[in-house]
Amino acid sequence: MRLLALMTDGFGRSGGIARYNQDLLAALSQSGAVAQVSVLPRFASAAPATAMMPALPAKVHQLAPSPGRAAWAVRALTLAARERFDALICGHLHALPLAAAIARLRQLPLWVQLHGIEAWQPPGRLGGLYRRSLAAAALVTSVSRYTRARVLAWSDLPPHRLRVLPNTVDARFVPAPRSPQPPELAGLAVRHGLEGRRILLTVGRLSAAERYKGHDRLIAALPAILAAVPAAAYLIVGDGDDRPRLERLARESGAGARVVFAGHVPDAELLRYVALADAFAMPSTGEGFGIALIEAAAAGVPVIGGSRDGSADALADGRIGRLVDPHDGAQIAAAVIDALGGRHPVADAARQARRFAFDRFASHVDALVRTLAH
Amino acid sequence: MCGINGILAYHYAANPIDRAELVRTRDHMAARGPDGAGEWIAGDGRVGFGHRRLAIIDLSAAAAQPMLGADGRLAVTFNGEIYNYRQLRNLLERRGHIFRTRSDTEVLLHLYAEKGEAMVHDLRGMFAFALWDCERRTLLLARDPYGIKPLYYADDGWTFRFASQVKALRAGGAVGADPEPAGQVGFCLFGSVPEPFTAYRETRALPAGTTLLVDRLGGGEPRRYHSVAQVWREAEDGAPARRGAAAARAMEEVRAALVDSVRHHLVADVSVGAFLSAGIDSGALVGLMRDAGRQDVETVTLAFGEFRGRPEDEAPLAEEVARLYGTRHTTRVVTREEFDADLPRILEAMDQPSIDGINTWFVAKAARELGLKVAVSGLGGDELFGGYPSFRDIPRWVRLLAAPARVPLLGRLARMAARPLVGAAGGNPKLAGMLELGGSWAGAYLLRRGLFMPWELARVLGPDVAAEGLRRLAPLRLVADALRPRPRSAHGKVAALETSLYMRNQLLRDTDWAGMAHGLEVRTPLADAVLLRKVAAAGAAAAGWRRDVPKAGLALSPSRPLPERVLLRAKTGFSTPIGQWLQRQGLPGNAGTAEASASRRRPSQAPHWSRQWAEWLAAV
Repeated sequence: MRLLALMTDGFGRSGGIARYNQDLLAALSQSGAVAQVSVLPRFASAAPATAMMPALPAKVHQLAPSPGRAAWAVRALTLAARERFDALICGHLHALPLAAAIARLRQLPLWVQLHGIEAWQPPGRLGGLYRRSLAAAALVTSVSRYTRARVLAWSDLPPHRLRVLPNTVDARFVPAPRSPQPPELAGLAVRHGLEGRRILLTVGRLSAAERYKGHDRLIAALPAILAAVPAAAYLIVGDGDDRPRLERLARESGAGARVVFAGHVPDAELLRYVALADAFAMPSTGEGFGIALIEAAAAGVPVIGGSRDGSADALADGRIGRLVDPHDGAQIAAAVIDALGGRHPVADAARQARRFAFDRFASHVDALVRTLAH
Repeated sequence: MCGINGILAYHYAANPIDRAELVRTRDHMAARGPDGAGEWIAGDGRVGFGHRRLAIIDLSAAAAQPMLGADGRLAVTFNGEIYNYRQLRNLLERRGHIFRTRSDTEVLLHLYAEKGEAMVHDLRGMFAFALWDCERRTLLLARDPYGIKPLYYADDGWTFRFASQVKALRAGGAVGADPEPAGQVGFCLFGSVPEPFTAYRETRALPAGTTLLVDRLGGGEPRRYHSVAQVWREAEDGAPARRGAAAARAMEEVRAALVDSVRHHLVADVSVGAFLSAGIDSGALVGLMRDAGRQDVETVTLAFGEFRGRPEDEAPLAEEVARLYGTRHTTRVVTREEFDADLPRILEAMDQPSIDGINTWFVAKAARELGLKVAVSGLGGDELFGGYPSFRDIPRWVRLLAAPARVPLLGRLARMAARPLVGAAGGNPKLAGMLELGGSWAGAYLLRRGLFMPWELARVLGPDVAAEGLRRLAPLRLVADALRPRPRSAHGKVAALETSLYMRNQLLRDTDWAGMAHGLEVRTPLADAVLLRKVAAAGAAAAGWRRDVPKAGLALSPSRPLPERVLLRAKTGFSTPIGQWLQRQGLPGNAGTAEASASRRRPSQAPHWSRQWAEWLAAV
């Protein structure tokens, strides 16, 4: 099969959706049913091979990006008209009406990939258009059961056409040796003034527009946590425009001295920050999946996540990490106290997290893409 | 018989299945299967079946379920009866299959090994089953052509769950209870929730006459293997019209088909009784049971104190029929007090909202009191032989209104103009929609069977639920789907509509929950795919039957025909005081139902209403 993939983020970009797209393209490239994938990204690294960017998988051909929406749409239409494809992949809900139009014009089976919060409600006044476009898809995949249920509630898609294709966990995330602490970890602790602390970690964007990841809820729980675990400290990895508000909240909580904002950490270094942590918490209400949760779990860190979104998938209903009601501060504090105190009620989490390994994802992608062939 | 359930963790990310959940769902169906309980979980913990047993064929422990094939490749959990299991078994034995039990369940295992999914075409009976193929790692679900036995499923994207009852799935704890607007709207339109929807978003009904395959990607699209409309259409396309003596033979063919169906429906290792009313269907069946060789038939009739000595009382005529056929007969009187006392249990047993089924509850209760495990019911006779007024009304409306209905917007305008007038006159709200809906078969059906009309739903359910539910349900399309492919004759069309909608979603479902609540298996020889094929063929062949397959044919089919009084009474209809009792009581937890039973226009309950309608039609 020759596939055309319309994606917002292609190779050379970072972030959750870009990572997912790269995994999906890599998996498609491994499928015996796929001859070629042409990727038309809106955003991607223009230079085909930078140091940041891994080599493109075999059979994957990435075209130059077109950040402008209209230009991108015109290029997609032209490409679909000029070349012969056997199926069309739409990598983001926002591109759905365009993709559905192309699929209809060219009589191509359409595969729509949905991520998280953007798909939980029909996009405003255009709900009818999106509903019809989605109903035209031969296959829709979502990252979690939660996103699937939300999409089924607003769309009229028959349930059998909406499958779950979870994120994958990077194979680099493996449990690090804890004692004695490797020297580079000790150095990292010293750098942030965290030596001797019981470290609670959150990794994620600090976005003022979103504010769903629960940093503020954890800061609010800190006094209770410190009362039970006096050595506790809260390490926040990630940056964004919500940081000033969170810093103010930390100061006002009286526990400001124990909150460390580490800012943005490049992917290559992230592993060490995770290895430094004694617990990882993200009591979010807006995760499509919550990849950070399984990365921490795969690295052997006790993980706490929210029970009201896609995090339940990442934590496999409690097999990989502890689920708490993100709106219940007392539950959050109790779970963190248990985790920092060595009483985390989840066993074997690192091995359980391996269920999200890339080879299983790739095998599933292979089975999914074959359904488009007939 | 029986209640079935299962869980399949099909997705690579899913947790192994939870035995406690499997057992919770299974044991919520304890009433369906009081004779035994079993469960099976595959060695890898990815799939498991549960079963509650009502033992009817092969009462031995060897026939217990879930049942595994001898080589361990196949596992099955099965609810129902395969009436031709002995013939199938003989065929399979000749092909080298070795059987370990005398059960019909085992036939399913061998037949699947022989034919795969295509096995369903060979089955005659009522069934819902799930079959796990360990080699292909696929789960096959199948449901009988009429939907006599129920099967519901929920697929959350990782794990597939199924059970005989919606409430049992919920009792497992992993299936949510968000209401399905299409189910709510469907209930208000039809009086029962139309499949594939249920009252809940996450739970779906496997449509009658379909199979569904679950593989590593999850539940697939239900695949239709039987369509009532198609049977009528093919019969009409295939038969040359016969006249004279050849046409007379059609009646003889119908009679032979009826005897054949009744004989098949008597297969059991326990005694089989019958519900007997004063109507043609049940009376003829009892006569045919005798013709099929049953000398010792136990019959039961429901009577109401309120009706004693009045024409509505069915007991005297039923007793006459019982005497005619020499049955052991019981007249069971139901009182208002008993109804009030049972109502909480009825609502508990009612798997999904319904405005019917209570009479079946009491007659099943009476049969069980007599020690019966199996009873034959005349359900299906009206759909097959055109016993409803809809067989007369719907074709007439379509004929009269097809032309005006083609004028754009005229129907809508007429409805909007007529609504206040009809409302002020205390008339039937359906009148206003006559011109809008009456011109198409689907629209006319909706008018005929409708409880509320689409434009009344905003008031009943609120504008948001009504709009969303109507969009998701698409009621006219749902009705029109029952006519695919479209039978040529009016009789074929109405028969397909009534069988695929009212009978399937209302009568059969109510019969299932109301019978199973008492551990009573109800068998319906008049709802049988083989009989349907033969009657459709005979009907299509006989000139003059194209518009009307005579119900009298059924009455005259026993070697000792039904008394003429039964035929005459059939025209006056039958009624119960349950509607009044319900109205007085109101249905707790079922908003709208009290109003529903008051405004419902069942042909049998309100013949005067159809007359009014006819008058109005004549004036158009």
